[in-house]
Amino acid sequence: MTTVGSVIQKSGDPMISVPSGNRFGRRAAPLVVLAATFIAGCAKDAPQDTWQPKGTNARKIDDLQRWPFGIAGIVLLIVVAAVGFAVWKFRDRGQEMPAQSHGKPALEIVLTVIPALILVGIGIPTLSTIMDLAKTSDTECVVNVTGQQWWWEYDIPAQDGCGGIPEPIITSGDLVIPSGMNVLLRISSRDVIHSYWIPALNGKRDAVPGRVQTLRLQADQPGIYPGQCTEFCGLSHANMKMQAIALNKADYATWVANQLAAYEAPAKDSAAAVGEAAFISSCSRCHQVNGLANTDGSLVISRPDLNIYSGAAPNLTHLMSRVTFAGANFDLMTAGCRSAIYDATPDAFGAAYLAGVSPECLNVVELRQWLRNAPAKKPMFADPTNLESTGGLYRGMPNLNLTEDQIDQIIAYLLERK
Amino acid sequence: MFTTGSKLLVGASLLSLIGTLVYAMTQGGPLGTLGLTSATAALMLLTGINFWVRDSNVSSMDTPGIGRSAAAHAAPPNSIWPMVGALGAAIFAIGLVVGKAITWLGLIVLLATMFEWMVQAWSERASADPVYNDSIRKRLLHPIEFPVLAAVGLGLIIFSFSRIVLYLPTSGGTIAFGGLALIVLLFGTLLAMKRSVGRALVTALCAVGAVGVIGSGVASAVAGSRPMTKHEIATYEEGTCGEGESEADDSASQALAAKSNLTATIVLQNGKLHADVIGVNGPQNVVTLPRSNPSHIQFKNLDSEPHRLLVDLGVEVKDAGTATESKIPLKLCSQNVRRDGVQFLSVNPPRPSFASETPYTFSVPGVEGASLEIVVP
Repeated sequence: MTTVGSVIQKSGDPMISVPSGNRFGRRAAPLVVLAATFIAGCAKDAPQDTWQPKGTNARKIDDLQRWPFGIAGIVLLIVVAAVGFAVWKFRDRGQEMPAQSHGKPALEIVLTVIPALILVGIGIPTLSTIMDLAKTSDTECVVNVTGQQWWWEYDIPAQDGCGGIPEPIITSGDLVIPSGMNVLLRISSRDVIHSYWIPALNGKRDAVPGRVQTLRLQADQPGIYPGQCTEFCGLSHANMKMQAIALNKADYATWVANQLAAYEAPAKDSAAAVGEAAFISSCSRCHQVNGLANTDGSLVISRPDLNIYSGAAPNLTHLMSRVTFAGANFDLMTAGCRSAIYDATPDAFGAAYLAGVSPECLNVVELRQWLRNAPAKKPMFADPTNLESTGGLYRGMPNLNLTEDQIDQIIAYLLERK
Repeated sequence: MFTTGSKLLVGASLLSLIGTLVYAMTQGGPLGTLGLTSATAALMLLTGINFWVRDSNVSSMDTPGIGRSAAAHAAPPNSIWPMVGALGAAIFAIGLVVGKAITWLGLIVLLATMFEWMVQAWSERASADPVYNDSIRKRLLHPIEFPVLAAVGLGLIIFSFSRIVLYLPTSGGTIAFGGLALIVLLFGTLLAMKRSVGRALVTALCAVGAVGVIGSGVASAVAGSRPMTKHEIATYEEGTCGEGESEADDSASQALAAKSNLTATIVLQNGKLHADVIGVNGPQNVVTLPRSNPSHIQFKNLDSEPHRLLVDLGVEVKDAGTATESKIPLKLCSQNVRRDGVQFLSVNPPRPSFASETPYTFSVPGVEGASLEIVVP
């Protein structure tokens, strides 16, 4: 007989080596994992926390999940206590095997009826909440949302709702909505299945190609509410973010007016004017800027359907009125300017957001990196030598091989797209 | 030195060698020479093996050796796997001529045979107890065999059902399978009431039922499907989208996917069009559709006369600015549909509406003023 660590090994038996020093570590590991999970729940800066609703719809879900969670916790405690008691009370002490019996009808009926009643008790308010969240009759504002690899497009149709939208608005990255208003998203997809989720404002809704699904949003206060695509949709699924920007009614009207403002061409001979030409030659095949015209006066109409698998690219008419780019994945602003918006109080938020991106605030480093080689900044299926499966169409933005001068010119042009 | 078996095999090898040489020199046929050479090589290999094991004879003085010899063991039961393997090889060979699917089937049968046979051979030598050997084979293979056989059986039944349903007329299928369900229900009820029914009888009845279904399936597959009419969504062709220029087809484009994934319903009522848009309250006079994304549109005719819906998405200019420049109208129309009927269209505008000189519209040929604007942002 030999002793290895704390385990006594009989000669000829397989050797199990558990050094004494590791025993504590092995036992402590699950506790550490549990503690870490528990502590993670206390994170202060967790904008996608489903337990912090910021609107009516999310609150309905929150109301529904809290008390069943409590009941489930009580049931868990009872079960764990009963199992623990049985394990301790009837542990093997060398006693004889007790008489075995089969079936306790009364107990079985009770143990079936109690969970059934609990499920019915949970089911009724769940169904009621599902129906409430599917309601569209009280819609005050409609926004069409279309997902594609790996960004979201928002088009707000002309309507009397949303405080009045005289002409359709198209944007991406930032979903701008009026706070306090029942907004209905009509969600679809151009390529694969995505899923739209702003946790603070409502649950998830899949974006399915060829199908329109609706999702209600309502934000109590002005502010930024981030979200994340929650249906695996390819290479950059993890980078497919979104954020809802809630503005009060007056600020929203200002935002609408700005989005519908006529195109202003850059001043003649300015860097932006040179950038406009560079934009037309390099970017406008896919990206639309409404009102942008060729030298002969004809409108520049992009044809992303001829270049990109999804058939769409973000409209950049008012890029600098947003706070993110590339599928809401990168900040358009430097950290200092960003925090002025993200940390603004609800009352001050609208003014901060509507100020847009100034040259001083532009996150020029990341924007340059993006224009220099987009697939290196965000993984995309844009290698021109490997596009057989898409018939030569890109998934995402390819490397345009722009020169540093062209990048500067295009940035100068885009800075005026407010 | 030479054992009895060796003498036989050495003689056979020599005879085969001589025969091969004679044939090769006198006849010279490559196929025959190759065959005889192969036979000679095989006999020589067997001779060598026999030399090595010395006829597998065990000396009578070698008591432990006698106990271990093959003759001392019970002969293993007959195996089905050589036959199944041969079947697999035949299917594989046929598949090489007929097509890929059959080849794959043959390959799967061969691989399954190889695996089963290998495990069986191993289990037969696991111990001297045939019952124990059989039990370890079952313990190892039953968790795989039962689900696979169940899946194959169910697949066969389901496939047979589908062939039968495709063969029978629509109403005939309903009657036949309604009757079959009734028989199964009655049979089950009888079994439940009379518990003394023998297991063999139940098995026999189930087997007869399964054979009946599979046999009917095979017969239906051979007979082929009943004739089916395809009702396609009409695409625009010059001269076909006018008023009443084609027969109404009430069954056209009734695909379930189209019906369940609507973007909007365009309704013709009292000579006017309005749109019911999913998620938007009340009738709409303008429909916003996404660019480069198919939208499924339903047309509902509440007018007394048959009508069709026409979608006009302007023109597509090809080879702009060149000598071969051409303008292709982007139009699409549904089939004619009678009162209270519906038709479907999938609309996919490639460009925004502000890029067009003329507005994008839904309209109804022959009905003045029945028009709706389409906005593509």
